[in-house]
Amino acid sequence: MEGIIEYLESIKFVHLFMSPTIIWQSLPLLWKGFQAAAALLIVGYLLSLPAGLTAAFMKMSKNPIVRIPATFYIDFIRGTPLLVQILVIYFGFPLLMPGWREFATGPIGQISVAGIDMSQFVRAIAALVINSGAYLAEIFRAGIQSISKGQLEAARSLGMTTMQAMAYVIIPQTVRRILPTMMSEFILLFKDTALFFAVGIFELTLQARTIQARTFNMSPYIGAAGFYLMLTLPLGRLVAYLEAKLAVSETGREPENRQERKRRKAARAKEASA
Amino acid sequence: MTEQAMVRIEDLHKSFGALEVLKGVDLEVARGEVVVILGPSGSGKSTMLRCVNRLEEPTSGRIFIENDEVTDHKTNINEIRARVGMVFQSFNLFPHLTAKSNVMLALRKVKKISKEEAEQIALEGLARVGLDDKADVYPIMLSGGQQQRVAIARALAMDPHVMLFDEVTSALDPELVREVLDVMKGLAKGGMTMLVVTHEMGFARDVASRAVFMDEGVIQEQGTPEEVFDNPQNERTKDFLGHIR
Ligand SMILES: Nc1ncnc2c1ncn2[C@@H]1O[C@H](COP(=O)(O)OP(=O)(O)OP(=O)(O)O)[C@@H](O)[C@H]1O
Ligand SMILES: [Mg+2]
Repeated sequence: MEGIIEYLESIKFVHLFMSPTIIWQSLPLLWKGFQAAAALLIVGYLLSLPAGLTAAFMKMSKNPIVRIPATFYIDFIRGTPLLVQILVIYFGFPLLMPGWREFATGPIGQISVAGIDMSQFVRAIAALVINSGAYLAEIFRAGIQSISKGQLEAARSLGMTTMQAMAYVIIPQTVRRILPTMMSEFILLFKDTALFFAVGIFELTLQARTIQARTFNMSPYIGAAGFYLMLTLPLGRLVAYLEAKLAVSETGREPENRQERKRRKAARAKEASA
Repeated sequence: MTEQAMVRIEDLHKSFGALEVLKGVDLEVARGEVVVILGPSGSGKSTMLRCVNRLEEPTSGRIFIENDEVTDHKTNINEIRARVGMVFQSFNLFPHLTAKSNVMLALRKVKKISKEEAEQIALEGLARVGLDDKADVYPIMLSGGQQQRVAIARALAMDPHVMLFDEVTSALDPELVREVLDVMKGLAKGGMTMLVVTHEMGFARDVASRAVFMDEGVIQEQGTPEEVFDNPQNERTKDFLGHIR
């Protein structure tokens, strides 16, 4: 084992980019960074869901006073870089909030959330929710509008209220249809947390950058990449699987079942002839 | 007071923007009557039917179901809709639910019936349309005719006093039309009050108590199917019947 590592370290490229020794030594800090990134992702995404749903319903409203602000918000966010949004929101937040300094230096502001100070965490979450809410809003809106009008009419004609029709007929179909896209947004958001390195939040990328600056070696970045992949690879596979399953349920073909049936039939035929 | 009408439509007008689709429709349907509505495409047949349960908001005029005024915004429209069954050209089954669950949903959520009882009603309803063996099948696995029969069962399960049918066989392959018409004939003979938009003349002759011909947003002519089909008085009716025969 030691011999192998020694040999690998002797290759210049391997040593500079994927040194086992340095990656191994970086693991504790990278793991801290991963936890911070995951905390940002999970809290940010969960709060983006209601934000996105609200914006989606606002954008579908017939009332222009409700619709126009939502349209503007969605277009503005989707049309500008997240990094710019992060800079504006992260540094603009304290300017807007009265008593920010007291909060940030007070006991609550100092609470650590997965290694991030609360005073940093809330600003980062605000940026994520504002950003992801806009993307999710479009996913929700497109999903709801892809359900045929006849579904709502059938539900209403049976005496259901609009709320009941939404809850039992429209939303379940929408969620099924957009689940893969919603999960893709989740994956994108995870990778986007790397941008918080620009405002000094010790998420995965900034942890890697700190070690890299100390060692003049690129391996910590590769280690960080490994942590990103740990989540994005399986989730990506899951998205592909769900998409395939969805295609089946919408076309009504169930290839696996049919193959299974054929195989059983063949087995039975063999049995009969034997 | 004489026998109260099941459905009464008084001077119904409906415009979509500048387009006036219904220009004063009057129609009274007695309990147990089967009224077939015919007319060229765009004459407002669907719009009229959809005004009856207010899927479409009438521009003016009044509509009554039994004693209740549908067009009065103080009446609880959901309560009335639960009494007015509707079947659509495009079936509109809920694709995420099995046949049985399609029938059960409104029983559970609108009528607040217990799960066991709703299931019982659903299975009986599916048996009535000959589909008790498809209870646990999703709509996508059913033929068009079967889907439409589930849709009829779903509407019937609410125990409606009147049923609205809007070209319910138009989207079906010819060989599937009969099974749906047979269900509807059975209903008609069982005394259900029905408003049926259809071009199935055989069905109309067989079970309709009245045929109504609509064109240009008004009722042009009405009478028994024999009167309207065999001896039309109105020029438009003659012209229309000449085309579809
Ligand atoms: N929601 C709507 N918005 C605008 N115009 C509409 C709407 N619904 C119906 N119309 C118009 O109203 C007219 C009557 O439509 P309707 O569907 O009632 O006709 P129909 O007699 O049922 O015809 P068909 O036999 O083709 O079903 C048509 O010109 C149609 O384009
Ligand atoms: Mg129509």
